[in-house]
Formats: sequence, structure tokens, C-alpha cells
Amino acid sequence: MNLTHAILAALLYIVAAPVLAGLLAGVDRIISARMQARIGPPLLQPFYDLFKLFQKERIAVNKTGHFFLLGYLLFTIIAGVEFFIGGDLLIVIFALALGSVFFVLGAFAAGSPYSHIGAERELIQLMASEPMLILSAMGFYVATGSFQVHDIWSRPDLLIVILPGMFAGLVYVLTIKLRKSPFDLATSHHAHQEIVKGITTEFSGPYLAVIELAHWYETILLLGFLYLFFAPWPWLAVLALAAVYFLEILADNTNARLYWQWVLRSSWIFTAVAGAGNLVVLYYLSRGGTP
Amino acid sequence: MTKHPLKMTKVALENLFQKPATVPYPAVRKPVYAATRGRIAIEEAKCILCLICDKKCPTGAIKVDRPGKTWAIDRLLCIQCGYCVEVCPKKCLGMENLYSPPVSAKAMDVVNVPFTPPPPKPKPPPASATPAATPAPEAGKE
Amino acid sequence: MANRTVIPFGPQHPVLPEPIHLDLVIEDEHVVEAIPSFGFIHRGLEKLAEKRDFTEFTFVAERICGICSYIHGMGYCQAIESVMGLEIPERAKWLRTMWAELSRMHSHMMWLGLLGDAFGFENLFMAFWRVREGLLDIIEETSGGRVIFGAAKVGGIRRDVPDDLLARIPAQLAKIEAEMRPITDVFRDDFSVRQRLCGVGVLSQKDAYDLGAVGPVLRGSGVAVDTRLEGYAAYDRVQVEPIVESDGDCWARAMVRIREVYQSFEILKQVLPNVPAGPVDMKVTGAPNGEFFARLEQPRGEVIYYVKGSGKKQLDRFRVRTPTFANIPPLLKMLQGCQLADVPVIVLTIDPCISCAER
Repeated sequence: MNLTHAILAALLYIVAAPVLAGLLAGVDRIISARMQARIGPPLLQPFYDLFKLFQKERIAVNKTGHFFLLGYLLFTIIAGVEFFIGGDLLIVIFALALGSVFFVLGAFAAGSPYSHIGAERELIQLMASEPMLILSAMGFYVATGSFQVHDIWSRPDLLIVILPGMFAGLVYVLTIKLRKSPFDLATSHHAHQEIVKGITTEFSGPYLAVIELAHWYETILLLGFLYLFFAPWPWLAVLALAAVYFLEILADNTNARLYWQWVLRSSWIFTAVAGAGNLVVLYYLSRGGTP
Repeated sequence: MTKHPLKMTKVALENLFQKPATVPYPAVRKPVYAATRGRIAIEEAKCILCLICDKKCPTGAIKVDRPGKTWAIDRLLCIQCGYCVEVCPKKCLGMENLYSPPVSAKAMDVVNVPFTPPPPKPKPPPASATPAATPAPEAGKE
Repeated sequence: MANRTVIPFGPQHPVLPEPIHLDLVIEDEHVVEAIPSFGFIHRGLEKLAEKRDFTEFTFVAERICGICSYIHGMGYCQAIESVMGLEIPERAKWLRTMWAELSRMHSHMMWLGLLGDAFGFENLFMAFWRVREGLLDIIEETSGGRVIFGAAKVGGIRRDVPDDLLARIPAQLAKIEAEMRPITDVFRDDFSVRQRLCGVGVLSQKDAYDLGAVGPVLRGSGVAVDTRLEGYAAYDRVQVEPIVESDGDCWARAMVRIREVYQSFEILKQVLPNVPAGPVDMKVTGAPNGEFFARLEQPRGEVIYYVKGSGKKQLDRFRVRTPTFANIPPLLKMLQGCQLADVPVIVLTIDPCISCAER
């Protein structure tokens, strides 16, 4: 991929990702509403919400928090750009994790106990989801011999065939990343949580919009991650991603919020069985297959 | 009954393919019943400005002005108990089954009452009606 | 060694729409102690009874609580009628029983939805509230109000229900019962629900009794007490068995309420065909002179009304002991040692109505 292409891809991601993710959020809200036998909001409601948040008053408990939030947005975008210009998968994962850590630091900057507990839970969620993301990078490496996203998506063979465990594991942690029940511990899309709005409690107006925006960039990046498994067949990829997203909505609407202990334990077990299991099988297959 | 952990999935998927239970208010409204306690209405032609509703209203939402010949109600203070309807001697008050429309400012709903006390001869009745409206003798009469 | 933190919980908290304040002393996410404070919305209703005509006070009594409104009004009227020695007409007694059961059902279903909401299960919340709408329609059609029935009156009821309407209700109830089965099954069987409810906030039978728990909290801990067995209104002529669960945890309390809703369907099947013809109210003359304790079973537990009059239009003394008030000490016991995530669930399992408790 030459420089011009890279810049174009980066710009396309920066502009199109929020639009796409916002529409996805709109569809999500309509489908959720229908699953609850409600009519639900208009499709563009997430954008209305975002613009309204940007217009609201800026109230700061601690200005340091806002600096950290910009770090969250910036590093999430950097991770996404790195991914969509076909860069190094490991840098993508670490930049994403760094972004989340900035978010956590932002929440710790305020004195509120709700915000602190939310931040602690966000760290636990990171602990639950990061192993699987790193394992999946290893999986891609073992399968394709490269950490470069560009090399992975230009391969002619369908990676889902040899990495089904990785895919399942990623779908599992996607629930954590998308903040869906039963894993919406740190903060939730729904209002009623014991720690109020958890990690986002002490942010207001435009800063909530920044969080939402960063979350949208993150969503598209994670869906891009899943796209890699189907890269040679784009239509199959779109179908698979739609199916995955639908399953996430269904899980959100059919589960209670669980305890952090359960989330951590189950995601590690799932990572170990599906992710590491897949890796071990793949490793032996590639040993046996190639001289 | 079988015990399996995913019962909600069935409910959610059924809902997804059914008509939603909610209605897009205010474009579509739910039907009201004949008995629904919506708001107090007055047939001003029958009103004799006797002040009983004013005295009996538990929240003091009704204000009757005899000299000014008006009957007024604060819709936001009214609790739709219907007690005024029960005590009205002329049965000119009634409970409508439609709710008051939303308002952005508090205001009294004022109705002009055409009632004129017939000059000399019926002068006593309003005079005697006024003491009758004070709680003690009226409640005994009930 | 973990640090202790104090987390304020309420009086304004999104998960608990009731103005109670709890200082939760927590270690990590474990609650060591819960310190309550009250009095945010004391309205002085008991004092107001000394200023108002005793018949008019019915409207105030009905508004002690928004959800168990009807039984409040009915309890007050029952206390006054007992002081004055009034024997109200049979039809009024049966219709009171009908409304009391409808009130219990809609209160329990609202609560079941709220409990779902407390552990982050929005769909369950919506499902219960959707089905509850059918009950509210019946209530509105019979009494004119959706939650404030406005049907209580000293000496009977304020509004008669036409017989053709009474005849239509069983079919509507059967439909609601059918809609309810799948979602109460979720409560009983769903994995994530059981994770959040089973073994959480356990109250032993002894503690429940000693701390003076009432209603579903008491019955969930295995004590068979139900004030309906006292036989007020027409309860002496219908079959009522106390619903008892033995586990004493949040799940047991939820099960008690679910089974009580189904029990109410059964009670209504006995009540509706048996409502006798006749007048629904009687002339009330004079004023209460004497005192009386009335005990009734609210959806939330036993409520006690005390009235004292001395032949005046205004009462000398009026007192309500609401079920939430009695359930606060057991709540504090249940909260000890639970996780922070369990706090809203446990607080909700007593079905708190703080506005009731503060009157």
C-alpha cells in the first residue's frame, strides 16, 4: 500500500467510521426496541443525541479528566487508522488498549466513588478482553506469517476456516467492548445502574459526546477485526458481521448484568478454550502440514 | 415445564416479529373509558355560584367568585377525585374522560357564570346558602 | 487489606426511584455496613387528619402511596367504619376485595419489572410493564383511575361497577395470565437472573421474624403470615393460602410475589362471579367516636391503621404503619456482606415505598 492510498484510507476511516457506527447504533436501538415490543427512536437518533451533547454546557469536576478523554479519542483513532491503512496488528491492539487506559485515568481524575468504581470495573473489563485480542493477533500470525493487516486481508484463503475459535473468542469479547448485557459493568447504555453511569458519571455535555465518538470509532475498528476472517469474500463478511451484531443485540436483550468476577472468569475460560485451543491446534497443523 | 436458561430469547424474538405494543403518542392515542377520570367540566348555565365545590375541594383547586360571577379551576392543582361532582347541588359539574391538554404555564381556567340571583324575593336563599356551605352544617346534611 | 470507602446511595439515584439515603460502607465491592437516613419527603399526613373532615381525608389516605393507593384508602375507611360500627353493604365488600386484588397484582407486576431493571435486564422490565398495562386498563375501566383508584369511601365505595363489565373481566384476566406465563418463567429459570438472585441477600427465618419483617419479605423467609386471613372485606369467603418460600434470598422473595400474582388470579375467579346485587354505599351520619386498629395486607406487607376520634368531624389521632417502615431493619440486615452490584436488587426486594413509610 503506497502513501497516497494510506492517507486516503486514513481519511476515509476518520470520516466514515462515525457515520457508519452512528447508523449502526440507530439500527441497534430500533432492533432493541422491537425486541422489547416498543416502537423505538428514529434511525438518526444517535446523531441527534451526539449533536445535542456537543451543544451542552461544559462543566468540569477536574479538567485533567478532559485531557485524558482527548487521549482516549486520539488513541482510538490512531488504532483505527493504523488498522485501516493495513499497518501492524500489534500496534493497533496496544494503541486501543492505551486509549482505554486514558479513559480509565480520566475517570480516576474525579473524586466521585461512582466514577472510581466504574474505572476499576473498566480495568477489569480490559483484563477480560485484552488476552483474547492479543491471542487473535498471534493466531493471525501463525496462520498467515505476518502481523501486517495488509498481508492478512490480501490473502486468498478464508481465515475463518482455520481460525474459528479465534473468531468465537473475539465475538465473546466484542460483547464486553460494546458494553452490552451481561457485560455492561463499567457503564451501560441504559440508565439504571448501581454505580449511576459508572466510568462516565463525572463527565458532562461535550465530553460525553467525545466518549460516544471514541466508542463509535472503536466499534468500527472491532468490526474491521472480525472482517479479516472473511476478507476474500466481502459479501459473506458483511453477512457474518450483521449476524454477529444481531447476536450482540439479542444477548443484550436476554441477559441480566452479571458480576465482574463472573465476567472475568468466563472470558478467560472462553479465551483459553476457544482462543488458545485454536492456536495450539493451528500450530500443530502447520507443523505437520509444512516441512 | 422444561427448565432451560434461554426463555427470554424466545420472548425477544417473538416481539421482534410482532407489532410493537407502544403507540406513537401524541399522533395515536390510547382509547379512554367511559369511567376515566379526566378533567372537571362545568355547565355554567346551571351553576348557582353556591361555593360548595370551592369549600369542599380537597386541594383548593376550585375558586368561585360570587361578585365577579366566575367559576375557576387550577387544572394542575386538581387531583381528579370528583368530590366536587358528588357534592354539587345542581349537578352542573361533571367528570370528562379526556385529560386536560399539557400547558407550559400555570393558569386558572376561568368560566363566566351567567347566573343572576333573582333580585328581591330570592335574596334570602343565597344568603342562607352561604352559611350552608360552611363545613359544619353542610356535612351534617349529607 | 482493602480500603473502606463510603458510597452514597440515594436519595436521588437512577436505580432507586425512592428518596432513601444509604451510606454504604464498602471494602472493594463488598458492603460492610449500610447506614440509612430518612425524612426527605415527610408530608405530615397524619397531622393533616386532625385538620380535615374525616370523610374528606379518604382522598388524602389514598394518596399516601401511588402504587398501593387503593388499599390505603380501603384501610382508612375500614378503620373509620369499625369505629362508627358501620356494616357496609355486601356488594361494596366484594368489589373492595376485587380492587384490592387488582391493586396487588399491578403492584407486584410493576415490582417484578423494576427488579429486572435493577439487575440490568431492560427487556424483562419492559415485558412486565407491557403485560401490566392490561391490568391498568381493567382498573381504569372499573374505577376511573389507573393507579389512584379513587374508589374508596367511608360507608362503601364511590362508584358501582356495572354487571356487564364485571362479566367481561374474567376473559381479560385470562388473556393477561397467558401473557404472563412466559415472562415469569424467565424469572424462574433464566441463567443470568438466577445468578443475580439466588443466594443473594439471605434473611433467615429467625431474623425475619425477630426484625419484624412483613409481607413477601417475611413469607420469602418461610413464615406463613398473611393478614388477608383475618377475613376483612370479603376475604372471609374466599380461599386464601399464604404463599411461602423457604430460601429467604432475593429469588425466594421474587417467587413469593410471582406466585401471589397467580394466586390473585385465582381469588378473582372466586370473587367476580359472586359479587351480589345491591347497594354499594350507605348513608354515614355522625362522627367517629372511639379508636380502632385496622390491619390489612398490602402488596408490600401488612399495613396498620390506627384512628381515634372523639365525636368531632376531625379525627383526634391518625397513624399508619406502612409495610416498608417495618421492612427497613430486615433490609439493613440483608445488605451486610453483599456486593455493591447487589445493593439495588436487595433494596428492591423489600419493595420499598419510602414515601409511604414517611407519610
